[in-house]
Amino acid sequence: MLLLSFVTISLSSQNRGMVLIPSGSYKPFIKGQADQLKVEHFWMDEKAVTNAEFLDFVKANPKWSRAQVKRLFADQDYLSHWRTDFVDQNNSQQGNAPVVNVSWFAANAYCTWQGKRLPTLSEWEYAASALPQGSKDSSSLQEIIANWYSRRSQVENDAAAFYKSEFGLWDMYGKVWEWVYDFNSVQYNEDSRNMEESPEGLFCGSASLNANDASDYATFIRYAFRGSLKGDFTVRKLGFRCAKTIENQQ
Amino acid sequence: MKYLIVLTITALLLAGCNHKKEDVKSCCSKEANQKSTSDLKESLPGTSVYQLEYIWEVHDGKKLLMRQLAGKPVVLTMIFTHCEYACPMMVNDLKKIEANFSEEDRKLFTFVLVSFDHLRDTPERLKEYASSQGLGENWILLHGDADQVKELSVVLNISYEMQENGSFSHSNRKLVLDSQGTIVYSQEGLQTKSEPVVVALKRLLKG
Repeated sequence: MLLLSFVTISLSSQNRGMVLIPSGSYKPFIKGQADQLKVEHFWMDEKAVTNAEFLDFVKANPKWSRAQVKRLFADQDYLSHWRTDFVDQNNSQQGNAPVVNVSWFAANAYCTWQGKRLPTLSEWEYAASALPQGSKDSSSLQEIIANWYSRRSQVENDAAAFYKSEFGLWDMYGKVWEWVYDFNSVQYNEDSRNMEESPEGLFCGSASLNANDASDYATFIRYAFRGSLKGDFTVRKLGFRCAKTIENQQ
Repeated sequence: MKYLIVLTITALLLAGCNHKKEDVKSCCSKEANQKSTSDLKESLPGTSVYQLEYIWEVHDGKKLLMRQLAGKPVVLTMIFTHCEYACPMMVNDLKKIEANFSEEDRKLFTFVLVSFDHLRDTPERLKEYASSQGLGENWILLHGDADQVKELSVVLNISYEMQENGSFSHSNRKLVLDSQGTIVYSQEGLQTKSEPVVVALKRLLKG
């Protein structure tokens, strides 16, 4: 018992601002070998990394400032919404808004600096499948996504503004897209036909035909968007949050 | 209170681990050849693939920083040695490219094969593979951990995914880097024409 409580306490103190995502499974968008993909439990940031948080990282690691970042790791729009290299704000709300215009490399470096990592695609999709707290059917989630798509950019909202999910995560949908660690694990463009030993769903850009639910337009858009990214890209509506593996998994 | 003490000790232990890592780093960077490569890094263009910091294991047992490849053009691709279909074709493509150059000229550039398979493609395994494929001295095969393989793949825009049986689905891209590590040409596919790669290489060797 004493040991147990120690473990709990030590984990929670090391992971402030993170929530424990319990093991479970989700229905993958692309038809593969499995109907349900299993995901082991892990920690995830309860909200997207904010401008203020990212500024701390840049100050501590100036090689990730706008002036010093290597072009290999971020394109020319990196942090272009910041006032200067070391001032993240153009208005009073921006500090608490999700940081955007960050490349995969920068997001990866931030999480590593925090002793964390980017979530995998499976972890992100599984975590994002949790419904808003108190809601009972998936239409509430679809509604949030549909409303989001029909609004103009929301990047200046607080990172915790729209909804909290059953897992305790803020705004997996509704504000910004988020980087995942293995965003380049699958492709849906013409390159797919050159893939070796590919699952059938990946051949010849046929991903849409092999979708588990072809009417799930919102998800299709998300996968297509991910597939269009390169690691140095920075996008005005693309941010990230970090995850962490649970140590001593039995 | 007890928890706090345990926590503090844990934190100290963790900090100790980090410290150790730093020590290893700083010890090595003092060595003369490492120092020259860190000077070199400053002069590399921001777009150079050699901006990557990771240390790789070579099939001959040595360690290598990407920027130690600087100085000669490189033909780079990613494979895994348990691959039965695509990778032998890829290596074959590279051999065909090599065949366009005389024994003497082959020394002027390097073929670099980086493995996706951080679990099975140990340096020893890569060495066996190099000898079974008859790869000459201008070929370097690299092993790295999962994170550095991922980072390189993102830099090279090569997508891959590990399958449940431990093999990989992956795109087949070969890239030509100039002597500073900047990508000057890339070609997607298998059993591709050698000519564009040969032309890119010859242009670099002339310049």
